[in-house]
Amino acid sequence: MPWKEGYTISDEKSLTDNEVQWPDGKRMCMTVMLDLSLASGPQGLTSADLRNANATFGLNEGFDQVRALLKKIDIKATVTVPAAMANILPDSILALRDDGHEIAAQGLKHEDVSTLNREDEKGRLDMTTEILTKLLGHAPEGWFSLPRPGDPFAVGTVSPNTMDLLIDAGYRYMGNGLSDDIPHYWVTDFDSQRAMLTLPYFYHFDDQFFLMFPKKGTGLEHADTLFANWNAEFKAQYRRGRYFNMTLHPYAIAWCNRLKLLEDFLSRIRDFPGVWNPTAGQAAHYWLERYPAKSTLKLEPSVWKDYPGSLS
Amino acid sequence: MSDTSQLAREIEELEIAAKTYDARHEFIDNFAYPEGMQIAVNFTADFDAMLFRRFLNETPMQLAQGEFGGRVGIWRLIELFNSHDVKATIFTPGRICELFPQALIAAHESGHEIADHMWEHHVPKDMQLEHDHIQKSTAALEKTVGKRPVGTRSRHTQSLMKQEGYIYNSHGSAAHLPHYLRDDDGENCLLNLPFHYAIDDAMFFSFAWLSSENAAQRVTDPDRVFDLWWAAFQQQYRQGGYLNICLHPFVSGRAMRIEMLDRLISRMKTLPGVWFPTCEEVARYCLDSFPAKGA
Repeated sequence: MPWKEGYTISDEKSLTDNEVQWPDGKRMCMTVMLDLSLASGPQGLTSADLRNANATFGLNEGFDQVRALLKKIDIKATVTVPAAMANILPDSILALRDDGHEIAAQGLKHEDVSTLNREDEKGRLDMTTEILTKLLGHAPEGWFSLPRPGDPFAVGTVSPNTMDLLIDAGYRYMGNGLSDDIPHYWVTDFDSQRAMLTLPYFYHFDDQFFLMFPKKGTGLEHADTLFANWNAEFKAQYRRGRYFNMTLHPYAIAWCNRLKLLEDFLSRIRDFPGVWNPTAGQAAHYWLERYPAKSTLKLEPSVWKDYPGSLS
Repeated sequence: MSDTSQLAREIEELEIAAKTYDARHEFIDNFAYPEGMQIAVNFTADFDAMLFRRFLNETPMQLAQGEFGGRVGIWRLIELFNSHDVKATIFTPGRICELFPQALIAAHESGHEIADHMWEHHVPKDMQLEHDHIQKSTAALEKTVGKRPVGTRSRHTQSLMKQEGYIYNSHGSAAHLPHYLRDDDGENCLLNLPFHYAIDDAMFFSFAWLSSENAAQRVTDPDRVFDLWWAAFQQQYRQGGYLNICLHPFVSGRAMRIEMLDRLISRMKTLPGVWFPTCEEVARYCLDSFPAKGA
């Protein structure tokens, strides 16, 4: 086995709290992901996902409410957009862009690409970039593969080729990784140290897993738990001076008392001095310059041995 | 008409099943801690990181979730335990020595115990291969930290563990207090330090644990677990009992949970007579002071 491939994607140890610094002496970094996908499962967006009352709410009143709240509290977000959604609501996406939010890509239909061959995946990736470039006038810098409520795991899906294809396509960062709670590098080749900057995501701060999860009618409502998790992690990361990321879905979080919880949380963090709230792209630019892979990554050569009867 | 003799045999088989299993256990009468101690709290960390998820062939992002335990979580747990002078036990699959050796050395140097958690986090069905795995895991841990492990958290065959010099296991919950467990032949007695899933972070904080359904997910908040575990501690403290708190670095190493554990340990320390030793220390104390009678 070359390096620790198939086991780890990055180096052996994260940066310590003391090693993490933010621009202009800011104390911590806080990013918000606004996921416009309505895909219910690994297959990605289907007609049924779009033809229901929740979807209509998310594309209209819910969307407007979340947009207005972000504007009111002056929070910058990164909008994760499956290319198919760009065709469905181009004006809304451009309106968010004009509010100062970043528009990032989230696949063609936000489908699970993990079993596609490289060529098929590349074709879809290129088509996604093309559709979003046409809408925005420039290529998106970030790529996301956030989990869908019907996925077997709450972490998002990539194929063994995804990171390599994203680097080839010129993307600057991958938006959701779980190996760290600060930006880190997803290494695709040990010898050349070819790597993709990856931003932290964690499902305990993603609204969809707490609000009528896994689906309306039979799911469970834990808006209070979501709120408690946001508060607990934000405060703990603030003390450490690291990074907090939350993920929102307008169809879910904009409803009634949930929207109030979001407003309460975002208002409360405004009382903490020194919180840097960039878009994911701004955070990525800062990290690539301040902590470039070349001087930050400390890859240890593999000492893994293959034995009969053991994992390879 | 029912065959009463057949039914009687079935009843008898149930009785034999219950009694022979029960007979494997030897509980300690009049258990008491060293002078001045009211309870032992063993903080244990199951450090399989992504290894078990790799064994189950889970997805790259699931492996990345596990990797957090090695890159970040284990270091935070070591720092937390050190700040409270708590000695913990890190149950470690031997293979982790090849993935995160620096963390294991740091834990050992801080006085924490490095114990076995199966070579690759599973027990092979073939006994010869199982023995090979036990030897590989034991050798890897010894080579990495310079001390041979004496404890395990596993379902390994007890005769093999005894043969390799192990003195205790920490698995299952047949009683609140430490007790002895023999194999089916009444041989190969090991001390068991009971562990219960109700005091296991993964049962509260980990999505898709052992392929659990989406409708049965575990994404609760730290305060709820703080309240449950504090109540567990108090209940055992009052009766001079034992508490084994099972943590996974990739689960409990998240900042909000480290903060919760910090509060939990601080609160435990407000009471007199709370002992935070390694599992090995508790095991050696039990073996010396209350040796197994039927051994």
